[in-house]
Amino acid sequence: MDNISLLMDGFANALTLQNLLFALIGVLLGTAVGVLPGIGPAMTVALLLPLTYALDVTGSLIMFAGIYYGGMYGGSTTSILLNTPGESSSVVTALEGNKMAKAGRGAQALATAAIGSFVAGTLATGGIVLVAPFVVAIAISLGAPSYFAMMVFAFVAVSTVLGASRIRGLSSLFIGLTIGLVGMDATTGQPRLTFGQPLLSGGIDVVVIAVALFAVGEALWIAAHLRHGKQATIPVGVPWMGRDDWKRSWKPWLRGAVIGFPFGAIPAGGAEIPTFLSYVAEKKLSKHPEEFGHGAIEGVAGPEAANNASAAGTLVPLLTLGLPTTATAAVMIAAFNQYGIHPGPLLFTTEPLLVWTLIASLFIGNTLLLALNLPLAPMWAKLLRIPRPYLYAGILFFATLGAYAAGLQAFNILILLLVGALGYMARRFGFPVLPIIVGAILGPEMERQLRRSLQISAGDPAALVSEPLAIVVYSVIVIYLVVPPLVKRMRRGRSGSTPTTPTTPTTPVAASHSGR
Amino acid sequence: MNSSTVDTPVSVSRVPAVLRGRSELGVAALLAVMAIVVGVDTANIRDTAINAGVMGPQVVPTLIAISLGLCSIALTVSVLRGGHAEAEDGEDIDLTLPAHWPTVFGLGGVIAAYALTLDFLGFVVASTLLFFGSAVLLGARRYIWTLVIGVLLSVGVFYGFILGLGIPLPAGLLTGIL
Repeated sequence: MDNISLLMDGFANALTLQNLLFALIGVLLGTAVGVLPGIGPAMTVALLLPLTYALDVTGSLIMFAGIYYGGMYGGSTTSILLNTPGESSSVVTALEGNKMAKAGRGAQALATAAIGSFVAGTLATGGIVLVAPFVVAIAISLGAPSYFAMMVFAFVAVSTVLGASRIRGLSSLFIGLTIGLVGMDATTGQPRLTFGQPLLSGGIDVVVIAVALFAVGEALWIAAHLRHGKQATIPVGVPWMGRDDWKRSWKPWLRGAVIGFPFGAIPAGGAEIPTFLSYVAEKKLSKHPEEFGHGAIEGVAGPEAANNASAAGTLVPLLTLGLPTTATAAVMIAAFNQYGIHPGPLLFTTEPLLVWTLIASLFIGNTLLLALNLPLAPMWAKLLRIPRPYLYAGILFFATLGAYAAGLQAFNILILLLVGALGYMARRFGFPVLPIIVGAILGPEMERQLRRSLQISAGDPAALVSEPLAIVVYSVIVIYLVVPPLVKRMRRGRSGSTPTTPTTPTTPVAASHSGR
Repeated sequence: MNSSTVDTPVSVSRVPAVLRGRSELGVAALLAVMAIVVGVDTANIRDTAINAGVMGPQVVPTLIAISLGLCSIALTVSVLRGGHAEAEDGEDIDLTLPAHWPTVFGLGGVIAAYALTLDFLGFVVASTLLFFGSAVLLGARRYIWTLVIGVLLSVGVFYGFILGLGIPLPAGLLTGIL
């Protein structure tokens, strides 16, 4: 098969001593930063981004793959050992994982999370190899109207499907779109929202926006409500699993991978739904349903696998269509843009080696992660005890550094503070952060596609529905928007009381804020 | 971990009853202000020959301004009817505590001061002060230790970026010494 030979080329390119070293550094740093409490995968990637500036494209992509998987694994370690996780995709893992850790089975919980992440991540990366070329083959024939429709779909999905409140999601989206407006209009060169400030004419660097929303906003929010006294962390040994644990884990891993990948691959974003579905499925299928809520290993194995598989799945729309649907993917687009790489179907034809090297690096990063993190887990657990004043001062230190390094302008730090305040506000009032960053990144691109559609038709808006895929996408959007409230109303009509949308059995999911 | 655990009771007495506990209306106001700013800015875009094409640079901002306005209205209605979303929870967050504003504004002030003095003081001095200031605001009490960590971090990153990554950070006051 053609893909396989391309993938082999990618491996050949990635498997040099130097590149393996980059992967190793990426995995180590990604895990170390991701493990720190309060830091989700998106913040990990955003904070470590400046490190890749000096590398060549291949080296930085490889390091990036390591950081990406490391950051996610680090997050699950935190949720197992600390409970109340920062990122919503790990909420479900914490349900059973923390109970296991409290019952002295932390080593097994970490092991099933690590091995499950590896299995699901590898399967899902294989899924990318299979699916991506098909999507590219379709995408390459699509015109501007279809792209415009898909972007609208991505906007609707991130702002109304996830999160607790549609008004707040949409408000976030339009705030993001406004941020995206700043700068010179790409087609006509007219300055918009620059207020005569020449430093704004190039627009606001996406890295600055990402670091501001995920690092500064989060640090300020935590600073306002910093928990007094020490939180009990659970010491843990080297992860291992007994025979029985393996027997109970392997099926949930596979099921988790199957549930997670498609949810990531359709641009509806978020690992909340697949991790929750996986949890429910494992609870139903388990031979030990009575253990759920008291530390059932299936409840860690399944959701962790689903989480990783969906994270890998999000790379399909990211690489083939240029659509970021999670916070981490949004930060990755920012990273790609740093190198002048614009993900989309053309990338597969113009830079095939680059794309396949990235995919190969995902396999490598995933494997390194497993090999390193099983023995290193006790050390990562120690990181949880880092005194909070130093931790959050350090986050601000590296956030300002990242913002400054993005353009070597002290002005960027003022923007960082301003957008960080916005991030604080979002957390305070339960506005999802994801639509802000997706709006800021995709806004200018959406305008370009809209313009292109209308230019072809000489201004006739009917052009927007001139392609079959566009019509299909708009229909899906309508269904997305109309069906859930209708179902809610019907339910309300049937049973007098309103059942609030079920999230997770014990811990309420705080919308989809710092997501992935 | 903040030293001042005595949180002064917020003086709500002067606030009208309708607005009490509805600080989210501030967000709605922000959305309205943004709508106006985007609208005014768009109205000031000059029509030049290059804009004369099918879709000028005003179309999308106009749509965004209108949408921001609609969001502002919808949010106001929702908040007045008692709608609210959950504030974000996390590992180190205790939502039972009221927001500790001195810390938040202190940190904001430290970052703003950092932005304004970075070029003059140089990366090492400014970043050390940033780290020290933030850590102390967040409750660090071992001042010397905190300062030492700040210096080590700043110097390490300074040389790491210049020698390792080839990214020049400003030396400022210490030009010639570092």
